[in-house]
Amino acid sequence: MSRDLLHQDEIRGFVREAYRSVDSESRAVAEKLYSPEELEGVPAVALDHALGVANHLRHAHIEPGDTVLDLGCGSGIDSILAARRTGSSGRVIALDFLPEMLERTAAAAEEAGLDNVETLEGEMEAIPLSDSSVDCVISNGVVNLSPRKARVLAECSRVLRRGGELCVADVTVEEEELPPEVLTHPAAWAG
Amino acid sequence: MAGALTERDFVQKLERAGFIDIEVLERAPMGISDCALYPLFTDELLATMRRLIPPDRVDRIAVCAIIRARRG
Repeated sequence: MSRDLLHQDEIRGFVREAYRSVDSESRAVAEKLYSPEELEGVPAVALDHALGVANHLRHAHIEPGDTVLDLGCGSGIDSILAARRTGSSGRVIALDFLPEMLERTAAAAEEAGLDNVETLEGEMEAIPLSDSSVDCVISNGVVNLSPRKARVLAECSRVLRRGGELCVADVTVEEEELPPEVLTHPAAWAG
Repeated sequence: MAGALTERDFVQKLERAGFIDIEVLERAPMGISDCALYPLFTDELLATMRRLIPPDRVDRIAVCAIIRARRG
């Protein structure tokens, strides 16, 4: 039902505006999801703006030399953690639709001394990468933001090599709907 | 959160996109107090949720799932 209540363009607008204006100096989310060992050396700009929903990287098979796509990288905490695992022989492509987020990710990578994080501006419904070009797609709390989720997942499949891995954390709901007043609230689409 | 799928729908969309070996590895309930950690949830929205969501659901309005799959 919820998808019928708002138009796709409205949803995109809500999400874009909410993430563009988010300004947090709280590490509560990062400290909830990641261990102190994982967070060691992660720059403040990535810690303070972490907005993921779980620690999916503990389940992702990321090997040295891999090419990893971080779908909706935000301020880059997962890109930083993944880039440590790919090593200098691999790379992380940090994709986001907001230049503000990509600037934070690039700054975090530079501060962390990582030269294997590449930022890429684009929409997750039209990933600007060639077919079968990545080994692993990671994403944290992002797919639910799209009004075209089937398209997003089809794009993930397209850019992955055969046998490549998708490892996502995302918000799911149970069958019972939330109240319409919540479902139509702009912040509920971004949060 | 308003656009979130059910876990079943998420898995079905993965299957249709050509993914195989789909596993749901973790499920963690998300309550209103968890939402309050995120600056994206405004005070107004949190108040609306507390007012409208039944008390027996406030600690589980959504589930954070970790899902892994391979491209077939």
